[in-house]
Amino acid sequence: MQESTDTSSEIERLVDKAIGGDGNAFGRLYDMHVDRVYRHIYYRVSNTADAEDLTQQVFIRAWQAIGRYKKTASPFLAWLIRISHNLVIDFYRSKKSDAHIDFDMVSTKPESDPEHMAEASFNRQEIRQAINKLKGDQQQVILMRFIEDFSYSEIAAALGKSEGAVRVILHRGLAKLKTILEKA
Amino acid sequence: MKKVEEILIQCIDDIKSGKATLQDCLGRYPDMRHELEPLLRVALSIKEPTDTRPSDAFKVRARVNLMEHIHASQTKKKAVRIPSQAGIRHGWFIGWTRAVSIAVAVILVISAAGTGTAYAAQSSLPGDTLYSVKLGTEQLQRIITLDDAAEVELELKFASTRLDELEELTSMPADQTAMTTGSYDRVLAMSIINIPLSEPEKNYATQSERIAIAVTGYEKNLNLAITKSQRIIDGETSLEMVALAILNHFDRLDEIEDGASETAQEAVINSKEIAMNGHINALQNLAEVNPVRATEINIQAIQGRLNRAEAEAAKGNGKGVEDALQEYEKLRRFGEEISNSAGSRGQDTKAIDEMNARATTGHLETLGTIYGNVPEETKGAVEQAMGLAVEEHGQAVQGLQQQGAQGDIPTEPPLPENIPDDTKKNIQGSGSNDSGKGRR
Repeated sequence: MQESTDTSSEIERLVDKAIGGDGNAFGRLYDMHVDRVYRHIYYRVSNTADAEDLTQQVFIRAWQAIGRYKKTASPFLAWLIRISHNLVIDFYRSKKSDAHIDFDMVSTKPESDPEHMAEASFNRQEIRQAINKLKGDQQQVILMRFIEDFSYSEIAAALGKSEGAVRVILHRGLAKLKTILEKA
Repeated sequence: MKKVEEILIQCIDDIKSGKATLQDCLGRYPDMRHELEPLLRVALSIKEPTDTRPSDAFKVRARVNLMEHIHASQTKKKAVRIPSQAGIRHGWFIGWTRAVSIAVAVILVISAAGTGTAYAAQSSLPGDTLYSVKLGTEQLQRIITLDDAAEVELELKFASTRLDELEELTSMPADQTAMTTGSYDRVLAMSIINIPLSEPEKNYATQSERIAIAVTGYEKNLNLAITKSQRIIDGETSLEMVALAILNHFDRLDEIEDGASETAQEAVINSKEIAMNGHINALQNLAEVNPVRATEINIQAIQGRLNRAEAEAAKGNGKGVEDALQEYEKLRRFGEEISNSAGSRGQDTKAIDEMNARATTGHLETLGTIYGNVPEETKGAVEQAMGLAVEEHGQAVQGLQQQGAQGDIPTEPPLPENIPDDTKKNIQGSGSNDSGKGRR
């Protein structure tokens, strides 16, 4: 998730303006982050319509809460991802059943990196479904590290935990994921 | 000894970055092989989804919805802030008719495009399809602003927006239009105004026409700010706000001029003339109630023009120096006019004359630096500017002498050392020849 200094100072400038009530600045932040937020949510819900609906909600909720955002605590994208995570949890709670899967999108595709795949043991679809069964912080840490490529310090800042705690959560999450995959 | 989670993370990072293979890592920690291997295989199976991106149509739709939400939330806040004095000030009937006007304007803007569109239009430029929506929202803001001082502030904000537009347009190559700035922007604009995406991209106006719209708009907004500030009873703060805003416009216009293409230079020069006239009008209004403050602001403007001339001299741009010095002369003469008008109104001119006289030394120093940096053919313009400084100084001193208040101010200001002696004589001669003419 490393951003260039120019980009991060531009984001910082826009965030300051948005905190001051500048809607246009927030619109620019939307332009800069919508793809990443959508991708994160899509990975969780595996369905275009739900991903679109939740992505919209993330930005509306972020605008409502922008006054509470502390830029020193975590990067703006990490904050958006945290909002996304909470919304996805609410989404699954309200559905009380597995979300319907967009099979066109998640059907097994040929892997683009066969060499790397030799060291992996599960296909994309199995992994995605298993991650969705993880609970709270474990799911979030694994997604932020492996899907969003945040550093451990960024994850720690976003979740309000120490880096050591994030490493422990990651270890336990992978162990849990292994158990889920073995049972499947 | 390292904890298992640290080893696991180190191995994942090393394998993903290509520094090690799975077997290398397992070989490093044989005792942990049984625990590490399955976890590493799970970790290496988690990959970023390939090419999952939202559609352009969704992004546009979501942005418009978001902007509608933001706009609605801000309007709500503003409605809470609007003081009820409008009703008290204008009477219930005016309040009621105004409410009807607001409703009509809201309906017009929304029916034209929708509130989200109005927001999305804020980055549009003259000639863009959404520009009329932008102007419509400005009109709406005028209507719903009930406080006189806030109305002045609003016009100044719009004038500044016109300068933003001017900056963007004058820095563009002549053949570029806003509708070709990028597919996402294009999809955004097209979807909002219900134009099929298959529609070919068009140039809606030439560059010079678009720039002319921005310049005319700037003049209109500036004049409205000046006129509205003049109408406010006890409105010294608003008069001062307008004058200070225009002071800032001088600097902005310098930057715009520096970044403008050759074909757009004339439009920027016109805009500078508009700013100069606005400055003089605004300060004339302010000088009626506070000539000392008007003089202070005018001296700041004079120094600004000298700084500009100095910067142009450093760049070796003789024409730029001459232009800035012409503006300097205009402002210096206007400074004297403020003093004369104050005198004819029976106001105390001592502080004004003192400020003008004391400022001369600094002005001459800057002019000396400029003189040393300009080519021979531009030196005459600098000498003339120095002559004017000496002349104005003489008049200010004369005014102070009449009031017995010259104090430590020298009768003749010191000229910079780098000026040749014969040139100094000419400058001092021109100053003393004109000194005392037509003063109060």
